[in-house]
Amino acid sequence: MTPTLTGTKKVVTGNHAVSYGAMLARVQVISAYPITPQTQVVELLSEFCANGTLRAKFIKVESEHSAMAALIGAANAGARTFTATSAHGLALMHEMLHWAAGARLPIVMADINRAMGPPWSVWTDQNDSLSQRDTGWMQVYCESNQEVLDTVIHAYKVAERVLMPAMLVLDAFVLSHTAEQIEIPDQALVDQYLPPYQPIYKLDVNDPHSFGALAPPDVYMELRYKMHTAMEDSLAEWARADEEYYGLFGRRYGLIEPYRTDDATLILVTSGTVTSTAREVIDELRAEGHRVGLLKIRVFRPFPAQLVREALANAQKVAVIDRNISFGMGGIFAQEIKSTLYNAPDRPPIFGFVAGLGGRDITPKVIKEIIEYTESHDEPEDLIWVGVKR
Amino acid sequence: MRKPIVFTSEHEMPPMAVSLADMGHNRTGGWRYLRPIYSEKLAPCKSACPVGNDIPRILSLVSEGHYEDAWRLFRETSPLPGVCGRVCYHPCESFCNRKNFDEALSIASIERFVADACFGLEDRISERPRRSEKIAIVGSGPAGLTCAYFLAKDGYAVTVFEAASQPGGMLRLGIPSYRLPREVLDREIELIARWGVEFRTNIRVGQEIDIEKLWEQHDAVFIATGAHRGRALNIPGEEFALQGLEFLKAVNLSPNPSPTRRGEGSQGVRLGKKVLVIGGGNTAMDCARTALRLGAQPIVVYRRTREEMPAITEEIEEAEHEGVQFEFLAAPVAIHKLNDKLEVQCIRMKLGEPDKSGRRRPVPIPGSDFILRADSVLKAVGEEPDLSFISESLETSEGIVMDRSHELLERAGVFIGGDAQTGPSTVAQAMRSGKETAQAIMRFLRGERTPKPKKLEEALRVNFAYFAHMPRVPTPQLPVSERIANFAETKRALSPEQARAEATRCFSCGVCNNCDNCWVFCPDVAITRMNGTYEVNYDFCKGCGVCVEECPRSVISLVEEEL
Repeated sequence: MTPTLTGTKKVVTGNHAVSYGAMLARVQVISAYPITPQTQVVELLSEFCANGTLRAKFIKVESEHSAMAALIGAANAGARTFTATSAHGLALMHEMLHWAAGARLPIVMADINRAMGPPWSVWTDQNDSLSQRDTGWMQVYCESNQEVLDTVIHAYKVAERVLMPAMLVLDAFVLSHTAEQIEIPDQALVDQYLPPYQPIYKLDVNDPHSFGALAPPDVYMELRYKMHTAMEDSLAEWARADEEYYGLFGRRYGLIEPYRTDDATLILVTSGTVTSTAREVIDELRAEGHRVGLLKIRVFRPFPAQLVREALANAQKVAVIDRNISFGMGGIFAQEIKSTLYNAPDRPPIFGFVAGLGGRDITPKVIKEIIEYTESHDEPEDLIWVGVKR
Repeated sequence: MRKPIVFTSEHEMPPMAVSLADMGHNRTGGWRYLRPIYSEKLAPCKSACPVGNDIPRILSLVSEGHYEDAWRLFRETSPLPGVCGRVCYHPCESFCNRKNFDEALSIASIERFVADACFGLEDRISERPRRSEKIAIVGSGPAGLTCAYFLAKDGYAVTVFEAASQPGGMLRLGIPSYRLPREVLDREIELIARWGVEFRTNIRVGQEIDIEKLWEQHDAVFIATGAHRGRALNIPGEEFALQGLEFLKAVNLSPNPSPTRRGEGSQGVRLGKKVLVIGGGNTAMDCARTALRLGAQPIVVYRRTREEMPAITEEIEEAEHEGVQFEFLAAPVAIHKLNDKLEVQCIRMKLGEPDKSGRRRPVPIPGSDFILRADSVLKAVGEEPDLSFISESLETSEGIVMDRSHELLERAGVFIGGDAQTGPSTVAQAMRSGKETAQAIMRFLRGERTPKPKKLEEALRVNFAYFAHMPRVPTPQLPVSERIANFAETKRALSPEQARAEATRCFSCGVCNNCDNCWVFCPDVAITRMNGTYEVNYDFCKGCGVCVEECPRSVISLVEEEL
């Protein structure tokens, strides 16, 4: 199929890219509570609702917990639902995140990665979203505003197929408040890609069922098993959604994105906006003769373990940049990569770097230092703090 | 219950915890152990109103501009809304829940507005049973008038005997026309007469006719002669002082009281310029303000301080605004006459320990005597009933002692009420007494027992979150400069806009006004709304109590389910 570019060019921020994505997905219920740096997402959506661009119910609530609770009710009633939040807001939703996943509700949410307080910070890091790793939400880390918009639409496609909620993640300010030229897809094509949500069970006064009731030990585990298999199945669905999208709009992202890895002896692993900077550094170092490559992890949950193993199979060294920290252990992406590779036949030494917490810039110079450190050391190290003033 | 569905593998199971069977049989109402019920409560204003005016419903009608309906609703419980809207001390406002939020509703001024707006309307005289029993009412004050109204409405033949030349009792004799214009009183008495009540004036019981004769000629007699006998000062020179109430009667019965240069009213009461009014009650205030209007300079002499004055605060304030002077902590000990002038010898008082009434007792300061000079002295130190017309034979033959022993009197068909029974009280209390006596007379004539009083629960809980602060509309007043030289009414009516705006401030405590909150907030959609009422579907109501909590006005109660 020939890729076709159809849509309107527009310069928008990452936050507004989220709004446009939700609008094009024709969400029916939005419930949100404002928090920096997410506010503009729902601001624009509320305007869309007010001026009739989007026919959706916009519910103002008193907390993020209520925002998610409202969406759970709406999704149970069969609506396509959306919210966005950040940091403490996401943490406040925690209980409801488990509920949404356990109830198998295909809610989609944007989390603008913001560092957790205290101390107060509004700048980016990934600890907020990664703290929700085990709630049963799919997580996709985006690198550009175009990817953000496209991922909102992907997320509904996959979530509604496998009945698991999805969270797309973008860096505070670096994406959320930075304007880029993107293509706003044509609504008719999006409708073709994403038909209306058809729940298999929903709250219906004419066909009453009980939802979320007490499950004794003899059925609970089966329901958890089914959640896990749905996550595993969703790997194929992300790939399929990506391909179908490519067929209509000419853009695809993959679950992971290897860059110049074929003959690379050292592969740098990144996620989010650091990837764009790293790509430049890789090109620069390649020009100098370094055999370095880059692996971007886009879909984090479900974790594309097999794809990661294949991408890293020929590397002699792997360096992982984590913009997060699991206190007492190390970077979380590094842990995932290590556990993925542990049972692989040939596993390269893995260097774990923690950098850029609380919005500190990860510049080309920082990335070069990480690569130089990895090149110059033979023994792998679990946790290397980058740039800490000591 | 249906047959259980048993899963043997995860393949058979739905993806989420959902029942595969229809759950229609599982009515959530079965979870309920508390039951919400619509049960209207007694609004505190209505509870406090001596005649039981249905204030929340009346205010609701006013807020919608239905003034005639509001007036007719007043007349269900009271024949004197025009009077009460002016002179009632409005206990309804003292108990208004809104005073805990911003300010109490201005209920009295709305009552007056409704009465004024409907001036000229008449009661719809309904078909009623024609009853043969005849009832005599002695006295045409608020107690007698109210009793007559309710008896006549029920078909009884009522004759009211009045000693004065015109009916109205203390309303006419004691209350000056600047507080209660005569056309308002005349009109409301006229409406009572329309029900067939016969008024016989200039008949003083005990003189023109005696009580035993009335008793013989009627099936029941109601003694409502009020409290008209002024108390004495019991000091030397008392004979130089006029009874304040007699002064008021003379002025109030004269067709056109007007000022003269020397304080001589056209009615022949000669006051002079400087007038001392002894006492601190409402009669004292009325005397002082009336004297002021006749061109005198009144000084109120009271033995305690302003705080202890028994007069209604509003009356004291009005007297002050109009320029009445006060001499507090002073008591007259003797009055001397020198030429044409009076010298009132007073003693200075101080406040001592509280007495039975809770007010601090005035104690004379020895040696503090001083003189106040005056052209005349009005004594207004209280009134008491004069029941000398009740003959000994009536008291003894039936064993009736006029000691407020209602039960004994009732057994004989002789009833007593109003100020004649209680001593001086308020217009509204007298009306309550008249109304209760009308009911007691009906029971007496029908041989019915006195029912046990049923007390409704009061609506004291208001969810303030549903209301916005709104200031109380002030009652418009005639400027002082325009009122002190005449008897024009000092208060003015609210405009229709003011009355409607003020009425919308009513919380409608305990009375459903179809705000829909219960219907909107029920999380189980178990409340249905039909034709202005609501019904709970107990098949689905879980008894969570949200409707009770969100009802702004305590209409819904939560009661325990009986198991």
